[in-house]
Amino acid sequence: MNANKTAAMVLDEIRAEALRSWEQMRQKTLIAVGAATCGRAVGALEVAGVFREEIERLKVDAAVIEVGCMGHCYAEPMAFIFKPGFPGICYGYLNEGLAARLVRDFLVDGDPCVEFALAADGVNDFIPTFQDFPRGLVEQKMVMEHCGLIDPENIEHYLAVGGYGALAAALAMDPGEVAKLVKASGLRGRGGAGFPTGSKWDLCRAAGEKTRYVICNADEGDPGAFMDRTILESNPHLVVEGLAIAAYAVGAGKGYFYIRAEYPLAVERIRKALDQAGKYGILGKSVLGTGFGLEIEVFQGSGAFVCGEETALIASMEGKPGLPRHRPPFPSEAGLFGKPTVINNVKTLSYVPYILRNGADRFKETGTPGSPGTAIFALAGKLVNTGLTEVPMGTTLRQIIYDVGSGIAGNSNFKAVQIGGPSGGCLPGETLDTPIDFDSLTRAGAMMGSGGIVVLDENDCMVEMARFFLDFTQKESCGKCTFCRLGTRHMLGILERITRGEGRPEDMDLLLELAGDIRAGSLCSLGKTAPNPVLSTLKYFRDEYEAHIFEKRCPALMCKDLIAYYILPHKCERSCDACVGSCPVEAIYSNEDRIKVINQEKCVKCNSCLVACPPQYRAVVKVSPPDLAAGKEKENDERKSQDNH
Amino acid sequence: MSGKVRITIDGKAIETAAGEKILWAALDNGIYIPHLCSIRENHSPFASCRLCFVEIEGYPGPVTACTEGAAEGMAVRTRSERVDRLVRTGFEMIMSNHRTECGVCPKNRSCALQKIAKERGLRLKPGRLEKLDRNLPVDDTAESIIYDPNKCVLCGRCVWTCKKTGSGTLGFAKRGFDRMVTTFLEAPLGESGCSGCSACAEACPVGALALKR
Amino acid sequence: MQLTEEERKEAVEKSREILARYDGSRGGLIPALQQIQDVLGYVPAEAMREAAGHFGMPAVDVYGVVTFYNQFRLTPPGRHQVKVCMGTACHMKGGNIIMESWERVLKVKVGETTPDREFSLERVACVGCCTMAPVALVNETVHGKMTPTKVDGLYFSHQLANQQKKEGMPE
Repeated sequence: MNANKTAAMVLDEIRAEALRSWEQMRQKTLIAVGAATCGRAVGALEVAGVFREEIERLKVDAAVIEVGCMGHCYAEPMAFIFKPGFPGICYGYLNEGLAARLVRDFLVDGDPCVEFALAADGVNDFIPTFQDFPRGLVEQKMVMEHCGLIDPENIEHYLAVGGYGALAAALAMDPGEVAKLVKASGLRGRGGAGFPTGSKWDLCRAAGEKTRYVICNADEGDPGAFMDRTILESNPHLVVEGLAIAAYAVGAGKGYFYIRAEYPLAVERIRKALDQAGKYGILGKSVLGTGFGLEIEVFQGSGAFVCGEETALIASMEGKPGLPRHRPPFPSEAGLFGKPTVINNVKTLSYVPYILRNGADRFKETGTPGSPGTAIFALAGKLVNTGLTEVPMGTTLRQIIYDVGSGIAGNSNFKAVQIGGPSGGCLPGETLDTPIDFDSLTRAGAMMGSGGIVVLDENDCMVEMARFFLDFTQKESCGKCTFCRLGTRHMLGILERITRGEGRPEDMDLLLELAGDIRAGSLCSLGKTAPNPVLSTLKYFRDEYEAHIFEKRCPALMCKDLIAYYILPHKCERSCDACVGSCPVEAIYSNEDRIKVINQEKCVKCNSCLVACPPQYRAVVKVSPPDLAAGKEKENDERKSQDNH
Repeated sequence: MSGKVRITIDGKAIETAAGEKILWAALDNGIYIPHLCSIRENHSPFASCRLCFVEIEGYPGPVTACTEGAAEGMAVRTRSERVDRLVRTGFEMIMSNHRTECGVCPKNRSCALQKIAKERGLRLKPGRLEKLDRNLPVDDTAESIIYDPNKCVLCGRCVWTCKKTGSGTLGFAKRGFDRMVTTFLEAPLGESGCSGCSACAEACPVGALALKR
Repeated sequence: MQLTEEERKEAVEKSREILARYDGSRGGLIPALQQIQDVLGYVPAEAMREAAGHFGMPAVDVYGVVTFYNQFRLTPPGRHQVKVCMGTACHMKGGNIIMESWERVLKVKVGETTPDREFSLERVACVGCCTMAPVALVNETVHGKMTPTKVDGLYFSHQLANQQKKEGMPE
């Protein structure tokens, strides 16, 4: 590389070529199929295959590319079709037949099949854009801007939309100035704790050692969270750029992506991205010709939730079991192999290029004073529109659930929202109008966590929810310290007996006492936050605990030991046998009136009959406590014998 | 780290090396703080048993004495309502997972658990908590040592010692509630390549590893 | 587990081959074990011994690492690995029912392998496909919006494919 050239000049040269091929691509028809893991799970690759076959068969001049996910996961498989003369049109709920039809009707015959269109990418006369959706008013994209619109496996796409410009800008600055800018932006770590990112970098910069490391923490272990996966799969270069800027700011010559084992596609795409960046001179011995050297490697996790904790993550990279250790020293002073190490979450790093491009003040315009910027949430559970969303910090849960998620699915009512995974909590309806940021959520008894939101309806039992999370943390506890290893085990035992209907009156107090002590006594944050699901459900849904303990009843009809399945005789259709056939254990029989009856002794409560019973009858119901079913059957028998007399 | 500092523990003025962990400063001066996992030579303490909680003036909550270095003017209290509550709960948890058979235990009367109970007025029964016996087989295959994993409190002292002075046979395996001290492939000690130095039995504070009598 | 002399030899050779790519620094331990498992399907005792020798650490500490992480297995898996997601969203949408359905069709419990080594059944914490809940994986393929009938379908299509393979029929 020519020593007189600046990083920006080197980048411009690389980018010129990328822009040319990008323009070329946009001149003909382009089909971009959403092929992140979520899309693939419901057949995106098959749909992409049909697009390719049909284009080939009908000799259409068009290209098919696989892109990431733009967050509208509910409508997967999805594809954007960019045909010259039309706005880009997004089609959802695709299947192989529909794909074939789109090629024929739209690409060949010019009919855009508006009836299947979800939205368009530009203002036009016939199809609404995503911005016209209620969620369009709430959402604001700093990180996800290009997710689902560019090919994540092609660095030219990223370059064409301005990629690596922030890195070039950073390289023109003094490393200390870069750290200062990030500090001034007020960016807080998106991994959960919300520690100021710039301060973390400063701590590392101040450390005496010359060998330093930067690590991107992509060990997204919270069940219900998939923001990091989506970003890595949809725009890997963005995260690579963020990590490279972090490395330059703290003077690290070596960086790592720590990606969890369960995300094979993310690993593949980051590896490809690193490889391409190396080939383009964006990584390697002389980053963009500046002489700053940076190597980045992928380290795959091996399946341990606790490794999201930074000292445990480091232990596993050092070839040890992932046991957290006492802090201080913090990793910024003594981290990987004892060297100063900055560990930032995927989302945190994804904001860094934005801040470099637009400045700290622009970043701070969005969000709340204490938590600037946007927040990225994964929406799952009983919502109409599940998926990924990016909204300004300070948006209320109500906006997220009702505007973005379009409310509760089916004929059900909202009960609670679980936010922050195993370290978070369940918040009830009355908290929905709280503007959410790091601090407000902690006050409400939950935690930002990494941003997983699971919406629960009236069919979800809050005691069971708490039991589920304690079962999770108990299984994922590393076992090093007493309070977490044994404390979570005891809490789980108590919750199990409550959900079995064997709860004792003193159990609620015992849970509260243990929760307080585990929070104060545990070594790491996994243990310290493990009681949150119990504390929040006890705080907001105590009545459900009481129903389980004192009435042996599960109000949500969820706890298996506290419910029974029962067929309402007056609703059961004599000529229908759907439930009988669906039962895997032959527990359902026809009585002499050809009304179906469940043998409670044999029933394994698998829910099959309830699903099988045709919606026009809805004869199968759940009752709690379970002896209600037996009681009803007895009643029926008695009534019948009276009738006979 | 050189130089002496003056601190107080429970009002008693103490002079100790700067950075010396509070736990050792207290023990050196005849002030007892419950502890199981701490090893003086280990400069990155495990801090895993969570029993050595103390209050330090100016700190928001109790901290572990094994990790906290002495600094000039520090005022330490080994007892407070919060400390006592944490120690009681932690101890109850450990006892819920420790097979208590003091009558026949080789460590009877020299057991660290008995000492903690006596010093802090705690009971050896787990109280509010259910007993969680792991029901693992007792290993008496080694010539001079008997290993009862059901008594083990996972303090790690045996593993440390085995690596320092023994044959490196012992280590930790598995995780969470199943975490245990064991050998490669969980082989019985007699078939594990153990040199029989019995340093581990010496190090064990609770009678999980003990000399055969 | 007892290996035949041949299997043992293969395990040792493959492990040595992989370990040779790593210098002795211990940071290479987990990547090396991952590669060994990729090749052999599991981490046999021989491989752990070899790794201990290569990285100059006690064998028990390699065992400690292998038994700490969910990903490592000490016994060979089934030819098809079924994993049922037990994340929050999947749990709330009946992940347990999907697990029970697999247990019923495969006639094994979670964590076990069928006697013919055709299938092993595992739980997985969360694969991040919460919007498609409940989710199950067969090998690396994610199947979303699972139902008990879909479980039957997946199982039978595998059985069918196997049968056709046995009978030597194309497609």
